[in-house]
Parts: sequence; structure tokens; C-alpha cells
Amino acid sequence: MMSLRKQLVSRGPRLALALCVLPAFAQSPDQIEFFEKHVRPVLARNCQGCHNAKVKSAELDMSSAAGFAAGGQSGPLVAPGDPVASRLLRVVRYDERLKMPPGGKLKDEEIASLEHWVKMGAPWPGAAEAKTTRPAESGKDFTPEEKSYWAFQPVRRGDPPAVRDDHWVRSPVDRFILAALEAKGIRPAPAADKLTLLRRATFDLTGLPPTENEIAEFLADETADAFAKVVDRLLASPRYGERWGRHWLDVARYADSTGNDEDHRYPYAWRYRDYVIDAFNRDLPFDQFVREQVAGDLLPGPGGAPLNRRGIVATGFLALGPKAIAQQDKKKMLYDVYDEQVDVTSRAFMGLTVACARCHDHKFDPIRTKDYYSLISIFASTKSFSNAETHVSKLLYTPLVPENEYRAFRAHQDRVAAKKAEIDDVAETEVERYVGGLAPKLSAYLIAAREVYGKSRAEQEAAAQRGLDAAILAKWVKFLQKPAGEAPYIERWQQVTDATQSQVAAEYQKGFEEGLTEWNTRLRKWRETVRRMQREMNMPPPPKPRFEAETNPFFQAVYFGGGPFAVPEKERETIFSGETKTRLAALRDELKALEAAAPPEPDMACAVQEGEPVEQPVFIRGDYESHGEVVPKAFPAILTRGAEPPAVRGSGRLKFADWLTSEDHPLTARVMANRIWLWHFGEGMVRTPDNFGTTGERPSHPELLDFLAARFIDSGWSVKAMHRLIMLSSAYQMGSTVSPEANSVDPENRLLSRFHRRRLDVEEMRDAMLAIDGSLDLTMGGTLQSGFGTDSENSNDRLSLRPEAVKRRMVYVPLRRANLPPLLNLFDFGDATTMAGKRALTNVAPQALFSMNSEFVLERSRNLAGQLIAERQTPAERLEAAYLRTLNRRPAAEEKDQLLTYLNRFGERFGKSETEAWQSVCRILLASNEFLYVD
Amino acid sequence: MDPLRAMYLRKDQPVSRRGWLRAAGCGFGYLGMAGLLSAGENPLAVRQPHFAPRAKRVIFLFMHGGPSAVDTFDPKERLTREHGKPLPMKRPLAFSDAPPGPLMKSFWEFRPGGQSGIPVSDLFPYQREVVDDLCVIRSMVGEGVDHGAALLQTFTGSSTFTRPSMGSWVVYGLGTENRNLPGFITIKPALSHGGAKNWSSAFLPGAYQGTAIGHSGLKIDEFRNEPIEYLVNRGLTADEQRFELDMLQNINRRHQALREHDPQLEARIEAFELAFRMQLEAPEAFEVEKESEATKKLYGLDDPVTADFGWQCLLARRLAERDVRYIQCTHSYKWDQHGQLFKKHTENAAEVDKPIAGLIKDLKARGLLKDTLVIWAGEFGRTPVSQGGDGRDHNPYGYTIWMAGGGVKPGFVYGATDDIGYHAVEDRMHIHDFHATVLHLLGLEHERLTYRYAGRDFRLTDVAGVVAKKILA
Repeated sequence: MMSLRKQLVSRGPRLALALCVLPAFAQSPDQIEFFEKHVRPVLARNCQGCHNAKVKSAELDMSSAAGFAAGGQSGPLVAPGDPVASRLLRVVRYDERLKMPPGGKLKDEEIASLEHWVKMGAPWPGAAEAKTTRPAESGKDFTPEEKSYWAFQPVRRGDPPAVRDDHWVRSPVDRFILAALEAKGIRPAPAADKLTLLRRATFDLTGLPPTENEIAEFLADETADAFAKVVDRLLASPRYGERWGRHWLDVARYADSTGNDEDHRYPYAWRYRDYVIDAFNRDLPFDQFVREQVAGDLLPGPGGAPLNRRGIVATGFLALGPKAIAQQDKKKMLYDVYDEQVDVTSRAFMGLTVACARCHDHKFDPIRTKDYYSLISIFASTKSFSNAETHVSKLLYTPLVPENEYRAFRAHQDRVAAKKAEIDDVAETEVERYVGGLAPKLSAYLIAAREVYGKSRAEQEAAAQRGLDAAILAKWVKFLQKPAGEAPYIERWQQVTDATQSQVAAEYQKGFEEGLTEWNTRLRKWRETVRRMQREMNMPPPPKPRFEAETNPFFQAVYFGGGPFAVPEKERETIFSGETKTRLAALRDELKALEAAAPPEPDMACAVQEGEPVEQPVFIRGDYESHGEVVPKAFPAILTRGAEPPAVRGSGRLKFADWLTSEDHPLTARVMANRIWLWHFGEGMVRTPDNFGTTGERPSHPELLDFLAARFIDSGWSVKAMHRLIMLSSAYQMGSTVSPEANSVDPENRLLSRFHRRRLDVEEMRDAMLAIDGSLDLTMGGTLQSGFGTDSENSNDRLSLRPEAVKRRMVYVPLRRANLPPLLNLFDFGDATTMAGKRALTNVAPQALFSMNSEFVLERSRNLAGQLIAERQTPAERLEAAYLRTLNRRPAAEEKDQLLTYLNRFGERFGKSETEAWQSVCRILLASNEFLYVD
Repeated sequence: MDPLRAMYLRKDQPVSRRGWLRAAGCGFGYLGMAGLLSAGENPLAVRQPHFAPRAKRVIFLFMHGGPSAVDTFDPKERLTREHGKPLPMKRPLAFSDAPPGPLMKSFWEFRPGGQSGIPVSDLFPYQREVVDDLCVIRSMVGEGVDHGAALLQTFTGSSTFTRPSMGSWVVYGLGTENRNLPGFITIKPALSHGGAKNWSSAFLPGAYQGTAIGHSGLKIDEFRNEPIEYLVNRGLTADEQRFELDMLQNINRRHQALREHDPQLEARIEAFELAFRMQLEAPEAFEVEKESEATKKLYGLDDPVTADFGWQCLLARRLAERDVRYIQCTHSYKWDQHGQLFKKHTENAAEVDKPIAGLIKDLKARGLLKDTLVIWAGEFGRTPVSQGGDGRDHNPYGYTIWMAGGGVKPGFVYGATDDIGYHAVEDRMHIHDFHATVLHLLGLEHERLTYRYAGRDFRLTDVAGVVAKKILA
């Protein structure tokens, strides 16, 4: 119901249709004079500044009869003779969302003139010759440049190039890298030493440092494939999925709440997160990973089972975006959600900024508005809400059990609700009886109260005289003395005199009785509905009605809240008869028994479901009130090369998923190959990983990118195979020092003559610190967040858990979008709302404060110091262990001397204990650049 | 001096001389003189505005919940005349689903203030005293009818999408002058209605994120000892910490010397020096209690009713004095009177009126008002019709804010709403226009302050925004 009202309020009747040709009416000289005198000047002063033949703001020219007749993007401006259907009039009256002129409303008489003119048939001299034209349709042909743009070409399967220095080549990858370097006369950097490589690979694949044992083992292994063994070991570790799954969660803008206005929890978001981690750990083929995230609910389950639990969870990718669920313009809200889904899907999988085409054809890429609305059509036919129309829209939760099991659960929930309604029913009936008894005495209460506060009569006495309840009278006395500002509805009573009071009191009583009758009627109707729905349809009861205060504020104030006739929930029992009390007790026992017998909530997911398929028109300039042509569910034309739109049943998501992962899709494999490369090297071959369009960067090694993309597909879309291919190359195993020649020829290291030194991500930094002092809890999966909905406005519960206070890996710390943990903000985590294939990196003083002062780092260094002292005998041994655990190497002799001297001096100078001095050393190591950067 | 410490402090020990020279030659050394930092390496370096600014900094006094315009700065005679009559027009989209109540007159008298004679209601007697310094804008227009959308649009320009906040844009555009304090500080911000999204840098680098001092759910005493996260070391004296830090920097310089020049390593060495200075000097800025008794009284710190917001305003002045670029105070989510308008607006006004007037007077007396732009605003106003008999619903279609100082016309009224105060009809100032105007006052052209993200250049004002030239002094 509400949505209908909202639509009426926000849209009004649509007129775009049928009124294309203007003057069906003859133009008399009087009319022309009226136009020249009263209309043209108004248009000239207020409209034609922007809507003229030159500027044509909103494709609208109001400076000529022809332009006016043609209308704008949303169609004609007026329906001659019909002011109600004329959008121009609604717009100038500020009755629509669009309000013109923007600088201020026209004067009333100007609007009246326009209206009069429209009634006359909107005569405009010379309009007879005016031709009507529609605004240009979008979707012009593609230019040769657009068609030949590199990213839209099929992946080329080329052979790796020949190089001069074959010795350097360990993997086909190296040929591409080396060939480019040789062309510029640059030598690749010397190989990294073993420990540097081990630290690099371990952080890279697991987000954690190598342990002392792992270091010893690798150093001892002198076989040729020692490093390959390390890579295999790391890829087999569950820590791998936690690290690489987190990379994907950046792309999926994963968080555990809606953000925006209400920041409601996504109570089952974690299942999607766990799915992603598991997908990487089990090396789920990437094409399957994509298909599941887009349309997993439509794919068969394991062994062809109809319920695809994992697939449903996977669509959390679509369901977990930011949402403005308290937005009152529900249509806008929904289309913003679809827009977000188009945006994240097209950028994550295709590196295309399709959402730029919401209001107009993409300014830079060959993506037309039609393409955008074709994709929108898919998501508009997909459900993300269980009820979008409620005041605060309701999120959709999908059961992960067979339907009958879920129905049984719901049915029991409904029985509980029904029992509660029954209890309420009994109580309400009692309240009705009680207040019904008080109502006829209302005027007596008014008059008695006036005697008390106006004439200082004792309450007891005034009550007794009229047979009233003294306690209730006391409430009236207080109620009637409220400042009038607070309670405008008693203003009239406060002005009565002895002469007028009985009449006014009678009127107040009448008003109250009317309110009471209306309210009781509504309550009874509601209770009937509840009973009927329970009986006949086994449906959950509708919500209890609310009294609309506007209709009778006096009744509202007296009957509800702390009003004098109100029966607060807590005090209800006091007015009940003995019989009622017994009955209620019995009902409550039944409720308790029902609740105890309730089956546990089945597993649920925040996922999308198929919705009603929509016929999606283009929204002109993104305005959902302005419809253009209806578009089919289809994929961007530049990529389909003119293929017919697919035959689609339902939303079309499954077709979309299949198309995205077809082997000849030019982007999906390329974009992911680039992401994998970026996450290994710190830079992509395309440095704008989410944008392969013309405003993005060109690849530094286009042939290598294609080679990897082809290998990716040929390996069955195995991400782990990509890791091996890349990590076992000489390119990956280079050192990070730069030679002067390389620095001058290629300062940005685009050609990869050295490994990019990189700072640890905030998760790596925090998890590593916890791992080093042995306090990292490696439990996997599940959720640390409980509950539904949101929290009161100023509650600390609106904050995300602090990662410093939790010992689980960072990836398991739930993220409340509206209030991310400060630590994450500090270290460039991003906002968990806009997708990010690459994180920003800053170096600012507050980060240093974290290392210097945070309780978290103090505690880590305290623990580590204690362990060093307990586990190792001599200072030299302790220092060696400290270096191995934090920097993953042994200290040089010089460093040993220096730090041991420091240790003593710090203790002596400031009178510190041995533990405190070691704590200082540990803090220094944990704060050092060498700890935070991986070479 | 301790010979060991002396050794640590010597720049060229034990790093090789060649290593040090290489490090120094690249632009800055670990002593980190601000002037040596290039903008490319320090995101917060001071940058030149596009043209001569009228204001150097902003203090935004945010009245969360939406104060009523027709009860504060926008008197409507017709409401008094037609009190109780039905709304004479179609109601635009409101927050409530219920049908609108009748027109409701203001509970407060309006009286002219100062030389300008601008009417201010009895809710704000103290602000009436300084009304000659205010530029009252009666024609604000936003798009959000719910708090979340309205806050997000007020602070980021978009009611829907995640975008950088105004404070982040300002610091991105101008950098920060006091390197011991963050450039963008928000005092006791709201956690609800978008929460941190309202002071977030979104896709701008994290260095432009607002620094929150407490939040609206906390009492000042709960955070005043460590207003900025991690600012206080609870284990070491400053001497001890300096000693430790010298060792750390020594190790960092050795690490650096063994590698070729790498700006990010040097930037982090520098960050530690800055952080050390920051923790020594920043706490002083927060020592509001050190102000004179007379000043504290001016802000109402002596009265429990005004003490909280007074503390915020006085802290804002101290931060402004120390050249913090963008400061926000939030009067927590109290102004949302769907009911009990008279009672609650009276209470709210009592909490903020004196501190706000005190801030204006104090800034003026100290010569700070001329280049500090003070903004007073809610996320929207309230309807001229009643809701629930004694309240008002949200109204983003025409509401009042004011600005003061920083190059705006003092004692000036800009724009107007219709005769019941529902829609802005004259000199409408959309939130985009408001943002364009604020940036203009700071010397930034809103169309040129852009950041490339996801394939296009974003701005605070999206594709809109017109500077309200008429309010420029």
C-alpha cells in the first residue's frame, strides 16, 4: 500500500505518451497577444537561459515553437488544453522531484498565466510549421577504434618470445619479462637470497611470516626444487585461502552490514566470506567461482540436488552491497541497488565501468545506455529484499535447507506468534472494557481537575465528590497543567471559565469517545484478521495498527503513553479480573511450551533470489520517471559483436554467468590474470585492475597478459596453477634492489627489472604480530557478530569489533560498514563499500603512533620478551630468536653488538628490568621498516 | 650527553657516509624538515588554493536530527494566521507514512536582533546577540527525507553512493598547516546515519580521512585523556621513548642504507619523527581546561546544560587557532522532534545556544573570525505542518542554515521559502551549491577539485553546484 502512495506522491500521473503534435487548436490574435505578453517573457526570463537551441540543457530547447513542441528527453512539456497532464506546470509548481526554475519558484501569477495558456491550447505563433522531433536515440554505431580496442579483442595464444639470456629463464613468464628488459638494455636484478624469498612467498600466500622451523627447514633443503616445495606447502595450508580469499573480498566490497543510513547487520554475510576462503583453498575453478557468485542459486547442487547450498551462499556477492534501506523513495532505492550490482559485477569480472552509462552513453568507452539498462534488467528481475516497501526495507534471508524443512520451522514460528497474539487479544479486550468504563467520566475528571489546580481543592475530596479515582485524577491534574506549547490540544481547556467549562468538557469527552470507538474498531478488525490469517492461511500475523495522532491528538495523548487514561503495558495486570489473570497464566504456559519446542533456526544466507522478470525501459538521464525504449536482457554490444540477445527465462542471471565465463570472453580471464599478477607483485600489468576501459591504463606486457589468460583457461581456470606458474619464475624470485641503469630507464619499474618492495597490508601486520607472540587463534570460519538489525543511535554496538581486541585472523573480524575499526582506516584497508582491486598506500604519522603507543603492540612486545627470556639462555641467543621471529633472518654481528649494548644502556639508564629492556628491543623490531616491508 | 645516545643521533653512524648522502640527496632526511617534503610524498603538504581564499579553515556546527527553520530563523506569519488549517498544497514525500497534520504555528516569538534586525526566535537568545555576524541562508534544499540520506548528502554530496566527505576534499585540496595535528578533526561525531561515512575519505587516500575525537555516545571525560587514538604511551616517559626511538631510527637507517633510495622507507622514518612531535605537542591543543575562567564561562562550561557542547566549541576554537583545516562539532542526535517539539527543541537550544554565540564572540575577539568559516546546519529542517499533534516531520525542501566569518556577508539574509516555509523559492541553495560555495570561500574552484577514480574524475559537487555569489562579502 505504502509504495503506491509513495509513487503517487513522488510521481504524479505520467504524460510522456500521445501528445506529440502541438497546436491542434487554432490560434486567435487574442491568444497570440496573451502569449507575447504573459508567457514568452516568463519563458525568456526563467527558462531560455539554459533551454535554448545552443545549450539545450536536458536536450530541451524552449526558445522556439519547434523546440518547445519537440519537448525534452522526458517527452512533451504540455498537453494542450489539459493543465493536469502538463508536466511543465507540475515542474514550475514544484510539485515534482524536478523543480524548475532551479533558482526559485515562479511568482503565483506567472504560474497562473502559464496554466491559462495551456488551457487555451498553448498557442505559439508560427507553431504550425514546427516539426516535432524526438531526442536522439542512444546506441550509435561503434567506431573502428572502439571495435579494435585492445581489451575487447579475443585473447591471443602467442608463443613466448626468444631472449638472449636463456639461463635466466625458468618459466615461460620469464621470456616475456626478459625480452622487454633486453629491448631496453636493462638487466634483471640478481635473485633474492633464500630467506628474503621465503619471507616474501610466505607473506604472499598466507599473510603470515615463516616460523623458525620453516626457516631452518628451507635453509637445510639444498635440492633444486626446494622453493617449489615451499610453494606447494604454502598452497596446501588453510592460511592460503584466508589470505587470497581476503584479496577477493576487497573486490567483492565485502562487509557485514548495509552501511548508508541504517547500517543493518547482514547476519549471515560470514557464510559468503567462508565460501570465498574455501573456494581458494580448494582451488575451485575460477569460472565456476564466477558462475556461482552470479547465479549459484540457479545451478544444480552437488549430484544434481535441487538445493545448491554453496551456490546460494555464493550469491552473497550480489546481496551484500551497501544499501540505503531507509530511503523513502523506494523505487530510487531499488534502482540504486541494481546499479550497485551492475557496477560491482562488471568491474569485478570484466574491468568495465558499465555503471558510467546510467544517465548517458559512456563518455569514454563504447558502452551505451542501452547496454547498462539491459544489465539492469537482469538485476531488476532479481530479489535482494524480502519486502522493499516497508518503511525501512526488509533484507532477504534465504534458507539453506529444503523448503519443507524451512516451512516447518516457519509454521512453528507462526504458532508462537499466534499464541502471543492470543495473549495480547485477551489483554486488549480487558483494556477496552476498562477504558470504556472511564470514558463517560472524562468530563467529570476535567472539571474536578480544574478545581484542584485552579481552586486548590484537595484531590481526595474532589474525587470523592464525583465518585472518581483519586490516582487517576492526580494524573489529570498534571496532564492539564502542561505548558500549552507542549500540548496544543489542551489549550482550549486551559482557557475555559466556570461558565463554559461544562460545555467544553462535554466536547472533550465526545472527542475522546470518538477516538476510542475508532481505535477499538480498528483493533478488533486487526485481531479478527490475525485470527483469520492464522486459521485459513497459516500466515504470520500482520503488525498491530498504529493510531494516527493527527486525526485526534487529544485522544492520542490521553489514551497512549503516560496519558491519564493510559494503561501502560507493565501495569495492565492491575486492572484485570481474577478470571482473566488465570486465563492469561494458562496461555503464557502454553506459549512457553511452544517456544521450548521450537526447532532451531535452519542455516540461512544473505543471498539473492529470482524475482519477477521485468520489462526494463531505458531511464532517460537516469530518471526513473522518464522512460525510453524497452531493452532486452542482454550483454554489452561491443563484447557480443552484434549477436542476438539471448533467449532468457527468469532474470537472465544464469545466461549472464555463462556468458561471463565463456572461453571466448575477452575480459574475464584477462582481468583475473591481471589481479593475480598484481597481488603477487604489488602492481598489475594493467595498473588499474578494475578498469580495462580507455580511461584505465594499457598493459605493460600485453603478450604476457594474454599468455597468462590463455594458460588460466587451459589449466581449467586453476588459480593455484597460476601461482605456481608465476612464483616459480625468475621474475618472482628477483631481489628488490634497483640498479642505476634500471632506475634511469624505468624508474616506475613497469618492466619489472626488480621485485616491488611492498608494505604489509594491515591484516598481515596485525596477524603477523599475533603469530609472532603465539597468540593468534587459527580457528576458521563462523561469525563473531550476533543479532539482527541495527542498534540505538549512540550505542557503542554500532562500532565494529576492534581487531586489537580479538585474536582470530583479521579476515574473520566482522565489518560494520558505517563504522569500520579505526585501525583499518589508519592502514589503508579501504572502505569495504567501494570495490578495490588495489589498495591505496599512505605513510602518515598516526600509523607510527600505532607502532609506538598502542596497547596492542605493547602487549605483543611484552609477550615476545617474556618468551625470549624463558626459552633462550644468553642475550645473544635471545636476540637471534627475536630476529628470526620478527625479521625472519639472523642478526649481523654488528647488529648484535648494537642492540645488546642498547639493551644494557636502556636498562641502566632508566632503571628498567631485564624484561622491560627486552620489551623495548622487541618493540623496536616490530616497529622497524624491515618488519613492515617485504623485499 | 650520553655518548651512546650521541652516536645514535649522529646521522652518519653507523650507516656508511655514502648511504647517508644518498638518502639525503633524495629530498629529505630523517630530521624531516617540512619544507623539504615534496607534495608527491606527503599527502598532507600545504597546497596552493586555486585563487585567493577568503577563509583558511572551517568550523562546522552540526545539529544532528534537523532543527526546525520556522521555529528558529525563518518566521512565517501565515502559520500563525492559519494555525490548525490543512496544508494548502500537495505534501511532498515525507518521512512519515501517516497523512500530514494541519499547519502549526511556531511556539516561539521572533524578535529582531542587532543592527541588521534579522529575526531570531526566542529559542536562540544568545545567537540573536551575534546575528549581525551571521549570514542566514533560508533557502537550503536537499534530497534526503531520511536522516541517513540527508547526512550523507550534507557531508559528501551524495545521498546514495560512498563519496569522500567535504572535510576530506578540503584537506586534499589545501593540505594541512599544522603537521602536529590532523587536518580534519570531527568532535563527537554520530555513529548512526552513515556513521564514519560522513567523515570518510572514501576513495581518496586514507590520509584525508577525518580523525574522530570520541563519538556522540561518549561523555567528554571518557576520551579527553586520549583524544586521538594511540596518542598516549602508557609505559614510557618521553626520554625513554626518545631513546628507544633513536635506536629504531638507527636500525631503519641501516636498513635503508643497504637498499637503494626508496621514498616509502624514508617517508616512514620521517613519520616516526612526526609522530613523536605530535604526541608531545598535540595533547596541549586539547587542554581546554587551561582556558581562563572568563573564556570557559563564555562558552557555558560552568553550567552542566551547556558544558558538553561548550567544550566542543571551545576545543574547536583551540584547534582553529592551531590551524587545523576542517573542524566539526556535533550536537548529538537530539533535534529530531516528530513529537514534543516544544519541550525538546527548548532543551536542545539551551544546550547549544550559549556555546555557539560564545564561539562567534571569541573568534571575533581573537581576530580569527575573518578567516574562519563557521557553519551552523542540520541535515534538513522540519515541516510547517504538525506531526503527532505536537511535532514536525523532516523537511529537506526548504530549510535554514547559517554561515559566519570567512568571507561571507555578515548580518545578511539570503534566499527565502514560500509563505508557509515548506519549499525554498528564492535563491535556492541546493546542497551541491552549498558545497561549491564553501569550497569557493576556501579558494577552491569546485569544478577543478577533482580526483580520478574508477575511470572518471570525481568532485564534491558531482556534476552540479553553483557558487552563491550574493553571499560573498
